[in-house]
Amino acid sequence: MRNQLTRIIITVCLVILSVYFLWPTWQDYNYRKQLSGLIGQDSLTYAEKHHDDMLDAKLKRMKLGLDLQGGMRVVLEVDIIQLLDDLAKNKDEKFHSIVKEVRNETATNEISIIPDFVKKFQADTIRLSRYYGSIRDDDAKIAAKLEDEAGKAVDRAIEIVRNRVDQYGVSEPNIQKQGGRRIIVELPGVKDENEVRSLLHGTALLEFKMLKDPQVSYKVMESIDKFLTGKLGNDTALATSVASKEKEKKKEAEKPKDALSELTGGAVVSETDTSKEAQFAREHPFFFYVRPDQRGYGEGYVAEKDRDRVNRLLDRPEVQQIIPQDFEFLWSNKAQTTQTGQKFYTLYAVKKTPELKGEVVTNAQASVDPEDNRPIVNMEMNSEGARDWARITGANIGKRIAIILDKAIFSSPVVQTKITGGRSRITGMETPNEARLLEIVLKAGALPAPVTTIEQRSIGPSLGEDSIRSGLSSVFIAFILTVLFMLVYYHSAGAVADFALFFNILFILGVMASFGATLTIPGIAGIVLTIGMAVDANVLVNERVREEMETGKTLRAAIDTGYSRAFTAIFDGHVTSFLTGLVLYQFGAGPVQGFALTLMIGLVANLYSAIVITHLIMHIMMDNGYHPKFG
Amino acid sequence: MRLFKKTNIDFIGKRFFWYVVSTIMVLIGLVSIVFKGISYGIDFQGGTEMIISFSPSVPIENVRVILDKIGLGKSEIKFYGTEGSLLIRTSEQEEGTVIGTKIRNALTEGLPGNNIQVLREDKIGPKVGKELRTDALLAVLWSLGAILIYIGLRFKFRYGLGATISIFHDVLTTFGFLSIVNGLIPGLNLEITQEVIAAFLTLIGVSVNDTVVIFDRIRENSKIYRSMPLGDLMNKSLNETLSRTIITSGTIFLVLIILLIFGGEVNRGFAFTMAFGIVTGTYSSIYVASAFVLDWTRFQNRTKVIA
Repeated sequence: MRNQLTRIIITVCLVILSVYFLWPTWQDYNYRKQLSGLIGQDSLTYAEKHHDDMLDAKLKRMKLGLDLQGGMRVVLEVDIIQLLDDLAKNKDEKFHSIVKEVRNETATNEISIIPDFVKKFQADTIRLSRYYGSIRDDDAKIAAKLEDEAGKAVDRAIEIVRNRVDQYGVSEPNIQKQGGRRIIVELPGVKDENEVRSLLHGTALLEFKMLKDPQVSYKVMESIDKFLTGKLGNDTALATSVASKEKEKKKEAEKPKDALSELTGGAVVSETDTSKEAQFAREHPFFFYVRPDQRGYGEGYVAEKDRDRVNRLLDRPEVQQIIPQDFEFLWSNKAQTTQTGQKFYTLYAVKKTPELKGEVVTNAQASVDPEDNRPIVNMEMNSEGARDWARITGANIGKRIAIILDKAIFSSPVVQTKITGGRSRITGMETPNEARLLEIVLKAGALPAPVTTIEQRSIGPSLGEDSIRSGLSSVFIAFILTVLFMLVYYHSAGAVADFALFFNILFILGVMASFGATLTIPGIAGIVLTIGMAVDANVLVNERVREEMETGKTLRAAIDTGYSRAFTAIFDGHVTSFLTGLVLYQFGAGPVQGFALTLMIGLVANLYSAIVITHLIMHIMMDNGYHPKFG
Repeated sequence: MRLFKKTNIDFIGKRFFWYVVSTIMVLIGLVSIVFKGISYGIDFQGGTEMIISFSPSVPIENVRVILDKIGLGKSEIKFYGTEGSLLIRTSEQEEGTVIGTKIRNALTEGLPGNNIQVLREDKIGPKVGKELRTDALLAVLWSLGAILIYIGLRFKFRYGLGATISIFHDVLTTFGFLSIVNGLIPGLNLEITQEVIAAFLTLIGVSVNDTVVIFDRIRENSKIYRSMPLGDLMNKSLNETLSRTIITSGTIFLVLIILLIFGGEVNRGFAFTMAFGIVTGTYSSIYVASAFVLDWTRFQNRTKVIA
C-alpha cells in the first residue's frame, strides 16, 4: 500500500511540475490573443499594464523552431586564410602562391588550415619566421601563435556578430560557435534577407584615406592607357619605372595585345569595326571604359556594366606594376544614375596608407543632414583619434579625404577646417535604413577577418503556419485513432492505457518547456511517433496479461505477472530506440535535432506512464472492486 | 477482441525460402540504386533550393525558360505542396546567396504582375553538403554498432549479430525502395534529406523493437523448455509473439500513415520512409533475425564438432 502511495504522490508531483512549466506557454498564447483583439490605445494600455508578466511569459515559454515561426538560419565561416594573410609581413610571390594553394585545397576538403599552411612552407624549407614573429621564433611556436590568433579572431567575430544582431533587434536570436571557425546565427521572425546579409557580412573596416592629386591620378590613368595600346609614352620617368620591372621588351610587345583582347573580348569591338567609337576603343582602351571627369577631380566614371572589365584590367600584374607605390584605385560604394538613365560608378585614386582607421571610432549615430535631408551617420572618436584627426584635417585644408568602408568609398568631402572635436560624418547612403545598418555595424566594431556564408536557410512564416496546422491535426488524429483502437481491442485495459497516454504527452511537453527546448516540425512528428510507441508498451503488457489469464491465474496475479514479464522486452526496446535517438541528436542540426529530442524525452516519459501509471491505475481499480477487462 | 488465434506456422522450417526472398528484395533495391540512382536533397549535394508560390500559378516550362536565360535552365523544378508552389533546385555554387537573388530577380522580371512569394530559401555550400553526407553515414554506422553491442550484451552476441543483420537488411531494402519509387508518385518528394536520414535512424531503433520482443520470448522459453531443440524453440516463440509483433508494428504503421496524410509536406518524406521501413522491419524480425541466429549457432556448433 505504501508503495502505491509513493507512486501516486510521484505521479501527482510530475503532473504539477509539467503544468507549472507549461503555464508560461499558455499565458503567452493568451496574452497574444488578447493583444491582437485590441487596437490602438487599448492595446497600448493593455501592453503597459501587463508588460512584466508578458515578458516573463515570453522568456519561459516553449520555443518554436525556425521552421515553425519563420526566420533565418545562417552558418558563417571565418576566413582564416585571409586572417593569416593580413597578419603576415614581407609578403612575397611565394607567400601569395602558397596562400592561394591552401585556399584552393581547403575550399572543398575538410583539412585543417593552419597545419596545411605550415606544411607547405616546410616543404619548401622556408621558415615561418620570415613572415611572422621574430627571427628567433621556431615554426612550432609561430604555428601555435597563429592557431591562437585564429581562435581569438573567431571568438571576437562571434562577439561582434552578437553585438550587431542585438542592436538590430531580433527577438530570441541564437548565436553559437560550431567547430573551430564557424558561427551559427539563428534569427527567428526575420524577414528582410538583404538587410541581414549586409548586417552579418560587412567586415566594417573603416578607413580614412587622402585622395590623390588630380594630376597624379590622370597621369597614372594615362600610363595605363598607353601601356595598353602598346605604346609607351615619352615620359621617361614612367618608362624607366616600367622597364626596370619588365626584363624583356619583346614580352612587353606581346602582352598589351592580350590585355586589349581581354578588355574587348567577346563584347564591344571587333577587329574589323571601323566606327569612330571602335577606333577610340582601340587607341585608348582604358579611357574607353573609364571616362575622366570634367571637373578636374582626378576621378573616372565607369558604366555599371563595365565595372568588372575594368577590375580585371586593373588586377593584371603588368598594370599593377605601373601603378605607383602607395597608390590605389577604389570604387564608390554606390552607382549613380544619369539623366538618361545610365548607371555608373566612380573610380577614385587614393593614397594607399590610411590616415586613420576605424578603431578610433567610439560612437556612431544615424541621423539626417539638416541641409539636404539626406541620411548620414555621425561618428565620434576617442582622444587619440581626435588628436590625429585634428592634425590630418589641419594639414590638408582644401584637399579631399575619402571615407571608406569595406574598401568602398562612401564619400570624399573637401576638408574645410581643422576638426578638433574628433567628429566626422559619413554620407552617401540612400535610405535611412542604410544609415541605421551602418550605425549598427560601426558601433559593434570591425570583424577581424571576413566571413562567408556557407549555409543559409530562410523560411517565410506562412509555410510555418501551415506546418503548425498540419502538425497539430496529425497529432490530434493519431491520438483519437489510437485511443479508439485501444478501447475496441482491449476494453477497459485499453481505456487505462489511453488515460496514461494523455499523461505521456503532458510530460513530454512539460519536460521540453522546463529546459526551454525548441519545438520543430519534425519534433511534432516525434510526438506522433511517441503516441504509436506508447501504445506499443501497453500492447505488450496487455497481450502478456491475456496469456497469463489463460493459464488460469487470478486477475491480479495475471496483471502483476504480465507487467513484470513484459518489462524486460519493453525496456530493451525503448533503450535501443533511445540510443538511435541519441545518435540522431548528435548528427542532426536544427529541426532534426528537435525530432531526436522529442523522441528521447517521449521514450523516457513513456516508460513511466505506460508502465508505472497504468499499473497503478489498475491496482487502484481493483482495490475499489472494479475488474479491468483485457478484451 | 482477438485478431489472431493460436497459430502454428513453421517459420524456421521454411527459412531458406525467405532467405531467397530477402536477398532478391535487397538486390532489386541495389540495382535500382546503382542504375536509377538516388536523388539527394540539397542538404547533401549542396546548392540552392527555393520554394516559391506563384499567384496565378505558372506552368513549369515557363519558369524553366526564364531560368534558362540566367544559365540555370538545368535546375530541377517540381511541384511542391498543393497550391501553385514550385520547388526550384540547382546545385550550382556561387558565393553566398547570389544565386537565390539571381533567381528571384529573374522571376520578378520575367513574370510581371505575378504575386511571387519566396516561401523558403536554402543555400548549402559544397563543403557543408559533403560533411553532412559523411556524418549521415557515420550516424547510421554508430546506430548499428550501438545496437549490436546493446543486444549482444542483453542477450548473447549472436543475437546482437542477428538483430544487426536484420536491420541492415531493412536499411538496404528501404533505401532501394526509395530509389525505385522516387518520381513515380507526383508530388511525393523522395530525395534523401536530413529528415529521411532521421527516418532511417529512427527506423533502426524502432524496428529492433519487434526483434527484441521475439528474442525476449526465446530467452524466456529456453529457460522453461531446456531440452527443446533451438529451431522448435524459435518457432514456438515466434508463434506466441506473433499477435504482439503484428499489433505493435501495426499501431506504429497506422500512426505513420496519419503523419503521411496529415502531417504536412515537410514530414512526408520522413513518414513514407519510416512506414515502409516498419513493414520490412517486422518482416525481417520474424523471418530473418531468428533464422540467422539459428543458422549461426548451427554453423558454430558444426565447426566446434569438427575441431
